[in-house]
Amino acid sequence: MNQQPGKLGIREYVSIAILMVGSKATEDTPTVLFINVQNAAWMIPVLSAGIFFIPLLLLLKTISLYQGKNLFFVIQKLLGKYIGFIVCLVIFIITLVGISLDSRLYTNIIRAFYFRTTPILVLYALLMAVCAYGAKKGIQHIGSVAYLLIIYAITGLFFALGLSTQASNVNAILPIWGPGKIEILKKSSQSLSLFTDFFLLTMLIPYLSSSKDFRKGTWIAYIYVSIQISVATLFFICMLDQSLGGVGYPFHTAVRYISLGSYIPNIEILFFIVWIVSAFIRFTAFLYINALMFGHLFKIKDFEFLIPSLAAIYLLIGNIPESQIDVGLKLEHMVQAVVGPLFAAISLILWLSALLKGEFKHEKDKNNM
Amino acid sequence: MRKKFFKSLNKKFNTEPQFSEQSNAKDIELKKQDINLHYERNIETFKAIFSIPKNVDVKIREFTIRSLKCRAFIIYISTMVDMDQVQKSIVEPLIENEQPTGKIQDIVSFPVAKMTTNIGDITENITRGITALFVDDDDQCYIFETTKIQGRGIEKSNNEVIVKGAKEAFNERLADNIALVRKKIKNENLIVEAHVVTKRSRNDVLIVYEKDLVKDELLQKIKDRLASFETDSILDLSILEQYLEERPRSLFPTILNTERPDRAASFIEEGHIVLLMSNSPNCLVLPATFWALFHSPEDHYLRTPYGNFIRFLRVLALFISLFASSFYIAITNYHVGMIPPDLLMAMAGSRERVPFPSVVEILMMELAFELIREAGLRVPSPIGPTIGIVGALILGQAAVQANIISPIVIIVIALSGLSSFIISDSSMNFAIRMSRFLFIFAAGLLGIYGVAALGIVGLFYLVSLKSFGTSYFAPMTPHFFSGKDLLIRPVPMKAMFRPGYLKPKDMVKQRKG
Repeated sequence: MNQQPGKLGIREYVSIAILMVGSKATEDTPTVLFINVQNAAWMIPVLSAGIFFIPLLLLLKTISLYQGKNLFFVIQKLLGKYIGFIVCLVIFIITLVGISLDSRLYTNIIRAFYFRTTPILVLYALLMAVCAYGAKKGIQHIGSVAYLLIIYAITGLFFALGLSTQASNVNAILPIWGPGKIEILKKSSQSLSLFTDFFLLTMLIPYLSSSKDFRKGTWIAYIYVSIQISVATLFFICMLDQSLGGVGYPFHTAVRYISLGSYIPNIEILFFIVWIVSAFIRFTAFLYINALMFGHLFKIKDFEFLIPSLAAIYLLIGNIPESQIDVGLKLEHMVQAVVGPLFAAISLILWLSALLKGEFKHEKDKNNM
Repeated sequence: MRKKFFKSLNKKFNTEPQFSEQSNAKDIELKKQDINLHYERNIETFKAIFSIPKNVDVKIREFTIRSLKCRAFIIYISTMVDMDQVQKSIVEPLIENEQPTGKIQDIVSFPVAKMTTNIGDITENITRGITALFVDDDDQCYIFETTKIQGRGIEKSNNEVIVKGAKEAFNERLADNIALVRKKIKNENLIVEAHVVTKRSRNDVLIVYEKDLVKDELLQKIKDRLASFETDSILDLSILEQYLEERPRSLFPTILNTERPDRAASFIEEGHIVLLMSNSPNCLVLPATFWALFHSPEDHYLRTPYGNFIRFLRVLALFISLFASSFYIAITNYHVGMIPPDLLMAMAGSRERVPFPSVVEILMMELAFELIREAGLRVPSPIGPTIGIVGALILGQAAVQANIISPIVIIVIALSGLSSFIISDSSMNFAIRMSRFLFIFAAGLLGIYGVAALGIVGLFYLVSLKSFGTSYFAPMTPHFFSGKDLLIRPVPMKAMFRPGYLKPKDMVKQRKG
């Protein structure tokens, strides 16, 4: 019997968004932030969320002109056939590379902290195979799984953070402004890449039950995620203090450090399960969105068949860097430094061109009629 | 494109075999005809159809109707009719009545169900246990519903045991089963529709639903599905279940099979459709979600906190039976640091003399447990208790003493085995027990990472399962309005809606008081 693709409800969408963006708190993001602004790092997520709020708002406003259409459609509509195509292609390639490196980063974490003797290719290939299987099932099912697991992911994270207070020192957040207010603001504007995933999520609009749900869900997830990353960073600062700058993946260091009373000394595996499960969802959603982009770019209707090959491409690109230092410190940062401002700029350009073309006016006229 | 290619390739290699079959075109042609005015011809026809006198329990009785002064005969299958009734209410009045009256209906005291002329129709009815009366010079045949089939009485439910609430279960007699449902739902909108699904054995399936609740498209979908079978016989409801399922090879069931009429009634009240079949002491509930398969009627009969307590136990049991063994393997093989040092020493000490890796140990014991379980089911009941003794003594005690397995493995297996009994639905139970083995292999291969990966793949699979268009985890995800009776059950007063995924005609079960 043929199974019709269903629509994504707001719960599922918010779950996907939170798992996709929120897991940034559990990789090297807190460290990077700490290197930038020391103990004021926890302010950055909230502040840059405030900055990115403007382009995101404009983007959502622009897209809402075209009911039920996704980002690429709007780009091509507003910027014309050729420029639009190039912009879309650039976005696609950037995300492709970004996610490949990101998934490699996750594999590195698995290898470094939990499976030290397993070949990296095995871990990586399994990650990609699972994601390809999930992505092939379609976005509705990704959403459902995300919704089933979100509660465990969030409780797991906060449970770990709560336990980390055993060894933390609140004084570590002083001086409260770190290197100075101006410096914080400057670095916040450079950390926009934290929230660029929301930019990509606008690809999913046609799959949501209503565009109102999409806007509402985006804001819920946006606010929640900025708070989550901020809180997590704060806890890591309190726990690790100055050494946070030298710790690659603070979440994993923290869960190795904490214990459940004196009788169970090591509980990192429990948190590993929660973390890896949300990582699976994260990359599954990314894979699906990427395939969607590719399908839209080259007018492939059954883009779901592309997913296994895209997963293989991820695997190949992710395998290029030799060591994890290459990935974590050089390439990843390069991509991130470009991505944030670029996506913000695209949002602004879209809004401007819509404004100049008078699309907002049309909409108003339509409503008045 | 690729699919097409494989399909054509498949067709080429898997051609249907040709048999030299005997044609029954003559019989079919005969059954299409009407009965004859001539008495003798009719007798000949039916004797031929039922192979009398070779067929010992098909009886033909010839007599003369005194009041009409004409010859007549009745034909019936003696093992399927109520002989007393036939004798007292049909044959005796016909022979003894002397009042001149023109109509058979006025003579016999047994109600005439219908009159028909078609030979095939009459034959079909006779096989079902009715009595057919043929009168000379009459082009109609009179049909009497005299069916009386022997069977078991209504007994206690055996497989879905509960402490509180109704105890009676369905039995093999269709009439009893319908009565059991009807006495719980006293409403004229409860419809019992009959459908013949097979050609040769003419097994009929009853579709039971409430007319003013059920969604018409769903009903039509199920009817179309039932009409689509091209098979000679489906003897049992459990076989019909396999015909009906969208994924018959899937590990997880998508149709609820229950033997409790109270459960069936509660599903009908929510807008589900129930299928009954003669000779089957159970019913099918469509569509079924994970929750329907996971719940037990006891959850609802007990007071809310108690009901939720056993729900909680069941969730725990589900996780333990799925993951206990694989978690043990993952921890002892990959993540030894998790075990507290003292316990680790003790475990290492007990494992010291065991020559096998822990995966082999676990697999051996799991297999042994499944064997004991299966043997306990199949063994004749007088020697049943011995199985327990053999299992506990030999496989537990002796295996440890012989250094084949370590004692801690016994604890793990006993825990996971015990927990698996708590999942009451037998199909779900099998699904959990079998997927447990998959998890064991995954854990042996890649530790917790493998278990997590398999778990996610499994979840993706489960979420994409559909039972007649309903997602497996509805109404949790995708979200629908419902009675909120999922993992935790609210008090009955708060369960205000029927499940939204069924799109029932009447959504609200009770208003806010």
